[in-house]
Amino acid sequence: MFLEKIFSKGKKENQLIGHITKQIRLLCTACGFFKTAIETDNPSLMQQVMNIERAADIIRRDIISRIYEGAFLPYLRPDLCKFVEVVDNIFDLLEDTACNYLDLELPEQLRSECIQVAFLNRRICEMLLITFESMLKGEDLREKILAIRIYEKKIDDIKFDLIRDARKIEITNFWDGEILSQFLSCLTSISDVIEDASDHLQVIHLSMK
Amino acid sequence: MWKIISGIFLGWSLGANDSANIFGTGVTTGIVKYRTAILLTAIFVLIGSIIEGPKCMRIVGDLSRLVPIEAFLCALAAAITMTILTYFAIPASTSQAIIGAIIGAGILSGSTDFSKLIKIVACWILTPIGGIIFGYLLYHGLKFIFDKTIQSLTYRNTIYTVGILVAGCYGAYSLGANNVANVTGIYVGSGLLSCQMAAFIGGLSIASGTLTYGKKVMITVGKGIAPLDPFTALVTVLAGALTLHLFTQIGVPVSSSQAVVGAVVGVGIVGGLRTVNPKMLVKIAVGWLMTPFAAGLMTILFIYFISCFNELVKSPI
Amino acid sequence: MKVKEFMTTNIKSIDHKRSVYHAVERMVNRRIRSLLVRFPGKEREYGVITARDVVFKVLAKGIDPKKIEVSKIASKPIVAIDQNTDFKDVAKIMEETNIARAFVYDQDRIIGLVALMDVMSATIIARARGEYVS
Repeated sequence: MFLEKIFSKGKKENQLIGHITKQIRLLCTACGFFKTAIETDNPSLMQQVMNIERAADIIRRDIISRIYEGAFLPYLRPDLCKFVEVVDNIFDLLEDTACNYLDLELPEQLRSECIQVAFLNRRICEMLLITFESMLKGEDLREKILAIRIYEKKIDDIKFDLIRDARKIEITNFWDGEILSQFLSCLTSISDVIEDASDHLQVIHLSMK
Repeated sequence: MWKIISGIFLGWSLGANDSANIFGTGVTTGIVKYRTAILLTAIFVLIGSIIEGPKCMRIVGDLSRLVPIEAFLCALAAAITMTILTYFAIPASTSQAIIGAIIGAGILSGSTDFSKLIKIVACWILTPIGGIIFGYLLYHGLKFIFDKTIQSLTYRNTIYTVGILVAGCYGAYSLGANNVANVTGIYVGSGLLSCQMAAFIGGLSIASGTLTYGKKVMITVGKGIAPLDPFTALVTVLAGALTLHLFTQIGVPVSSSQAVVGAVVGVGIVGGLRTVNPKMLVKIAVGWLMTPFAAGLMTILFIYFISCFNELVKSPI
Repeated sequence: MKVKEFMTTNIKSIDHKRSVYHAVERMVNRRIRSLLVRFPGKEREYGVITARDVVFKVLAKGIDPKKIEVSKIASKPIVAIDQNTDFKDVAKIMEETNIARAFVYDQDRIIGLVALMDVMSATIIARARGEYVS
């Protein structure tokens, strides 16, 4: 009953936090693999990104069930769930991007910009992890969220140029063009969803003050 | 001894209605389960009644000189008044009902001590004010302390969970200590029961009301005054409990619902006075006026009928 | 944090013989405030033309921008920073040379541009990462 809650001294909560931390770390790893895979044009490494997404899915389901088994106040649970779902969406996007990459021949004129975006995606994921850890400590999140916004803005700027450069490329087959377009779209949307995730962290932080 | 039945009925209805005030916010924010809330309330109400219940009994007993049958009728009138007003969803306070009934009986017998009545009415008015003050002060005070000392998410989570449970138990204790006088204090005044016995029986009747009917009322009432977050829930419960306990020390039984309403308003003031609903205040004021008058009137009618009946029985046809 | 992490890699350039009007068109179109000016020669020589140069040296003086070459108002040589320079040193260099933007090079190639806003953003990011030590 309630006595269990008092005597467990937050054991359930700490376990849950460990799982969410693991999920975000996995995201950073996946982004790192992705960047290296584009840099070195390594399809098998890109495949690994998709495998990581599957592992992340399992973790997500475990997290959700732990939340509703009684970790944290009911008041916090919907926001925590939302955050975890958003992180999972990032994985899905990353997997789509990887899938598209494997299906196309990336034009060389776009490669360096794509690598730049992939690098920034990795950085923004690391920042999300830092923000999550700060939230747990109850620290002010403003600076970290601003850092995430800065990264997102940078990626947005590169996206603008990427699309402009992509338009100069001659497309002979509709599907080649379609897959390239989807690849670029997914690649540059990852940071938007991460920014979303950071907003959810701010909500959780404020609701417990 | 059968005369204490009306008091037991009154206690049962008090337990059923007022336990929602204590744990209502904790239950509707999901921090405490209904079963846990009801069980804890029943236990701590009984403890509060036994330990500090006698403190408020004196003023109830001293208000009017009553004979046992009058005590029975007062409690009955109060209980019926409460039932009717609750049915019409007018906020009714047991304290006001029983006091109104006692005054009614006292008017008939001419034994009312009006100086005590003034003290009681003053405390009624001060109850929501006390709630407001405690609510406001606790909100700022606890917020300051928590922000300085408890920053980690999991630690705060634990503090809120444990805090609401502890505050709720304290609230139940205060309810028992303060309100048991409403239920059985009248029998001490008329000599039917000793203070301790009255406290014990009264406490049991309130606890039984909580256990049997408390859940239903908790669902409806709790949702109406549910604050938005765990911290506010904790503060309102604690402020209500402190207010009740304060008036217990003063020796006057007051309304627990008004204490909690005051606490909610006090916390609401923190966010600006927009959160105070004028319609709700009007409804409360109406309840304040109607309850004692209705109970008093009913008591007068009962006593009158009984005395007429007695006359009829005495004089052979 | 190294400058290569927060520089802009998209640098636009213009030939030294082009008109200032052409430079204006480019800058307005791309919403950028400077252009790298390419000079001829075996060793790559660069200059820079900024919005300030255009407005102060041409438009304010009532000169027709179509009739003046970029080379006439470009600043030479450019201030270039190695890609591995720490952002705090970048701030110092910019203060010492009193410029609002500097180019970033890798061996002998210009690979990016860093402006005041970039240095400020880098500060925020470094602090957020816990890397900032004043």
